[in-house]
Amino acid sequence: MALLSSILALRRDARLLKIPPYLSAFCIVVGVVWLLILPLNEYSRRTYVSENALLPGQVHTYFTGSEHDVFRAYRHEVHGLIDRSVEERSKAFESIFLEQNLKVATQKYNYTFGNHSITNENVYAILQGPRADATEAIVLIGAWKNMDGEINNSGVALVLTLARYFKRWSLWSKDIIFLISADSTIGPQAWVDAYHNGHDETQVESLKIKSGALQGAVAVDYPAGPWGHRYDKLHVVYDGVNGQLPNLDLFNTAVQIAGGQMGIDCVIQRMFTHDDSYKERLLTMLRGMISQGAGHATGPHSSFIPYHVDAITLVTVGDGWHDEMSLGRTVESLFRSLNNLLEHLHQSFFFYLLLHSKRFVSIGTYLPSAMLIAVNFSITAMALWVKSGRPDTSPSNPASTKPPIKAWNDEKKRFIGVKEPVTQDKPTSSKETPNSTDTEVVKDGNAISIVPKSATKITERPLLTPVLILLGIHALGLAPLYYFNYWDTDFLYGIFLTGANISTLMPIVLAFVFYWGPETPISQQKITLIQCFSLLLLGMFLAALATLNFSLSFLIGVLTTPLSFVRKSKSAALTWLQLVILAVLNPIMVAQWSCKLLGLDVAEVLRLAATGWHVWGMWTQVVVWLVWAPAWVMGAMVVAGGLFD
Amino acid sequence: MLSFLPFLLLGTFVTRVASSSDYHERLLLRPLPHGNLLASFNFLSNESQTAFEQQNFRYLPRSFGQILQHAHAKELHLRFSVGRWDAESWGQRPWNGAREGGTGVELWAWVEADNEEEAFARWLTLTNALSGLFCASMNFIDATKTIRPVMSFVPEGHHGNVSNLHLLHGTLPHEVVCTENLTPFLKLLPCKGKAGVSSLLDGHKLFDASFQTMAIDVRPVCESDGTDCAVEMEQTVDMVLDIARSKRPRDNPIPRPLPIEEIECDTSKGYNGHDTCYPLNKGTEPAWTLEEVFGRPLKGACPLTDENGDAANTVCINAPPERTIEANTTGQFVETKLAYDTMRCYKLPEGADFDLVLPEQQMTTGLVRLDPPLFAARTINGHGQERGSTQSVIRNPSTVQAIEIVYLESLPWFMKPYLHTLRAHLDTTDESPITETYYRPAIDRKRGTHLELRMIIPPSSTLTVTYDFEKAILRYTEYPPDANRGFDAAPAVIRVLSPSIGDSKGMYIRTTSLLLPLPTPDFSMPYNVIILTSTVMALGFGNIFNLLVRRFVGADEVPASQGGLKGVLLGKLNRLRALFGKA
Repeated sequence: MALLSSILALRRDARLLKIPPYLSAFCIVVGVVWLLILPLNEYSRRTYVSENALLPGQVHTYFTGSEHDVFRAYRHEVHGLIDRSVEERSKAFESIFLEQNLKVATQKYNYTFGNHSITNENVYAILQGPRADATEAIVLIGAWKNMDGEINNSGVALVLTLARYFKRWSLWSKDIIFLISADSTIGPQAWVDAYHNGHDETQVESLKIKSGALQGAVAVDYPAGPWGHRYDKLHVVYDGVNGQLPNLDLFNTAVQIAGGQMGIDCVIQRMFTHDDSYKERLLTMLRGMISQGAGHATGPHSSFIPYHVDAITLVTVGDGWHDEMSLGRTVESLFRSLNNLLEHLHQSFFFYLLLHSKRFVSIGTYLPSAMLIAVNFSITAMALWVKSGRPDTSPSNPASTKPPIKAWNDEKKRFIGVKEPVTQDKPTSSKETPNSTDTEVVKDGNAISIVPKSATKITERPLLTPVLILLGIHALGLAPLYYFNYWDTDFLYGIFLTGANISTLMPIVLAFVFYWGPETPISQQKITLIQCFSLLLLGMFLAALATLNFSLSFLIGVLTTPLSFVRKSKSAALTWLQLVILAVLNPIMVAQWSCKLLGLDVAEVLRLAATGWHVWGMWTQVVVWLVWAPAWVMGAMVVAGGLFD
Repeated sequence: MLSFLPFLLLGTFVTRVASSSDYHERLLLRPLPHGNLLASFNFLSNESQTAFEQQNFRYLPRSFGQILQHAHAKELHLRFSVGRWDAESWGQRPWNGAREGGTGVELWAWVEADNEEEAFARWLTLTNALSGLFCASMNFIDATKTIRPVMSFVPEGHHGNVSNLHLLHGTLPHEVVCTENLTPFLKLLPCKGKAGVSSLLDGHKLFDASFQTMAIDVRPVCESDGTDCAVEMEQTVDMVLDIARSKRPRDNPIPRPLPIEEIECDTSKGYNGHDTCYPLNKGTEPAWTLEEVFGRPLKGACPLTDENGDAANTVCINAPPERTIEANTTGQFVETKLAYDTMRCYKLPEGADFDLVLPEQQMTTGLVRLDPPLFAARTINGHGQERGSTQSVIRNPSTVQAIEIVYLESLPWFMKPYLHTLRAHLDTTDESPITETYYRPAIDRKRGTHLELRMIIPPSSTLTVTYDFEKAILRYTEYPPDANRGFDAAPAVIRVLSPSIGDSKGMYIRTTSLLLPLPTPDFSMPYNVIILTSTVMALGFGNIFNLLVRRFVGADEVPASQGGLKGVLLGKLNRLRALFGKA
């Protein structure tokens, strides 16, 4: 009983409110350090192939000999199409596929948004598995243009050659679809949308022929010209749209086949030299996280992953001694492995961070880091809720446990008397707060006690205004979401600059409005409640997001950490300091300086984001404008209130 | 392209042969485009009704006949199929699709019974018996996989009293048809694959075919006045062989790249050189012989077939007249040309191997090919674990004739269609093509959905039938071992009502089966739970059991194990040992 009542008494202790900021800071520090220790050997694992049916690299590959001659011829054919129109190009591919006795079809698409449209055509051919029953299919993609805009000359030629070669085998248990998409990100998206009938028929043509459920997709990117180019390594790209990842088994199979069977080193996340040191691992992981957090399409495979079709892209990099046939044999072996699959890839991980082509961290190990960061906001929000329930007129400690502890300090030997601490020791401790001597008698059944008035005073929390303001500011986020996605793409940079100015000034303007508004000035309690709700929402959103897109949640979490600590301050210097820190962490400013750091063009990023919104179904912007930006505005607004006091 | 008159003649020709004697067999070969070859084997055995009832079996296999009698099955159709028919390039299906089934196993029969319960009990007897006979999992055709079609099937035979006949239909789309099903199939034949055209049936080639279907059809056949009835059993094997693939020797089946010298290059290409070769399509009909493509020789005629007349012509090849065909045998054979020379039939020698040799040939006329009346494709749309939709696209290529069809869907219970989302849409008109609907909804774990639609497709129109469905969540023990593969939904059966082709078999088209991914639990989780709870149970139980059963006594209360001198001595010895142990 004594313990319980002392805890209950502690509830009203003002010192309790001093703990949460430290707790929040502790969560943040642990969260960040947690991430930093992941690359260590003790916290990461070697990759392994979990699905027994895959048997990577266990088959002999026969893609050699005269196939090389045929490949060279196709490479010339493809090279000859570079300057042709889209129709001529499609016709040429169709005729090559038809000569190979495959079922061919084309698909036109025309995405229009803003003031520009993207029009092009995909060509695809279906190799019907000789004994298959059209229930399952695997896809081999050769995009006409790769991510850098180069013509994927050898890659497309390799797809054509492999189509001819695969046709002769009778062992395929699944159909094989050869897709020559018009570009690396939009064409595959149009195709895979139409394959699942998830397309808008005004923009994307329906597919004329289809096969069964897609089990996997592999894209090859080999932009060597008609005279070939020997490459050094394979760059395996695996990020999907919205940070979704393919099953780790597919990635591992590719790495194991390329490395173990063909002797080609694999690299990831553009870390072309990787000495497997802590620094390199950390850098690889961070690059992976930034790519995952941005949620954009990173290759022809990206569009497949949201449809639960595991996909990767193999990109050739560097100058070395591997030729097109070794890439062809890698793909052959990979397809033989996929062909072995009895079930959809499900054994291995879908949530992971890769540190090296052969090292990874699984979700159980890394998730706490983002969760801790999200929890820090919830802790602060709870503290602010408690604070808002206290009378803001007497912020100092009213009563409660301070006196008994003092009493206990005086007479160390006897520790009793927590039973009636309040009445007994009141006078000794109330020197600083004379008004707290107001007491009243409280009866509960037979028990009677005299408690200070402030302890029994009920502080009403006016919830309506803070909730309305909260919802209003979140709704305001729809405006930039609309303008950045539906406005003419040429003006996006202008909108960006305007947005930067508006967003920097907005908190100050809002604070000013609330200060001079009808209910003036808005009470400190309401300000506290607004910040409380804002942080509560932010914490909830980030915790939920951490399970879907860990990287995005972590990055936003880290960039919004100051929101847990900023408070309305009476000191002008402190207010301005907080405002400057927040201005740097404004979502728009973050976009600005991160583009500078990563060497990107802001206008290009904005155009890509609008494309992502319309074509890929990317929701990074939703998170930025409806979660991050409102939270930032409210944090900054609370601080800016200090300017007008 | 030849007119389809010869092809139609062929159809009547085969049926005419069918009803004159007691055992007939025929192999019909038809080269298809892109180096494919259709081989249709047909075996007919007749037994008079009286002999059948007295169990006096001669050509009809006893094992099969007794099953039919025991299960009171009056007419039975059994299909084993692998692969799919490529109607776009191969044209009309063999037997107008009446002798093929959906992927896997399909079985339907008219069972004589007084009521539905009895019919179903006899159906179960039938499936279980056939399951044993054909080494197939037909015993898994339970109530959830059985439907009673209303419009899609009509009896082929002559049944006197049809009022007490019950039609039951079951499918196993996931059943993998293989050699163990072929062997019992061959055993039912009088010549058992030892002589006659059945000697060409080899499991390696049959199951390497691009499309193959094995069919057994039993029906009563009577004279027009209803007398002189006989039980007719027809066994059919249709296979489409890829000639290039079939010709590969069995000891070297790997399609290694050919030496560059053997590839014909397009020398007109500017880049053509010693290491660059654009492969040229020769456009010739490939060379083949029977022995090459079937992997074994044709061992002469089956002595049970007729020696004279049409029925003696057991091997026929349906190719343009200009195609060179040589018969290669040491025995006597007779070649007959029919149907404007597009059909060449051979009477096989007895006891001597027979082979047909077709050299590589550049053709000027096209192959004999009849356009199919319909094209049908069915796919699953949408993604995710909760809902999906099915889309069937049926196209009528004819420019003049409307086609009336019955569309039959038999869905597993865990695929729950929303009938209100059923849309049948024609691209040419806004009128609804549906004239009649029969729908029997599913009951969880009891029976599947049964949907039949009677529809009319106007000329050169495409009909799209779509409906949404919900995926049920199964109990974790209901998942098969390969749960993440998905579940197969049986192919849709399309029966063409009109234009009618005028024989009792009818015209059928089947779509491919569907793979339905269901929400699947992470199966490691139940196992982890089981392991963990078992461990906790074991620990808890062990301790409690120990407490209950063991008797605790103080160390000094333990009675000396042995009394007397021996015991005392032993005690001393132990003490000594303990002392030394300590030191």
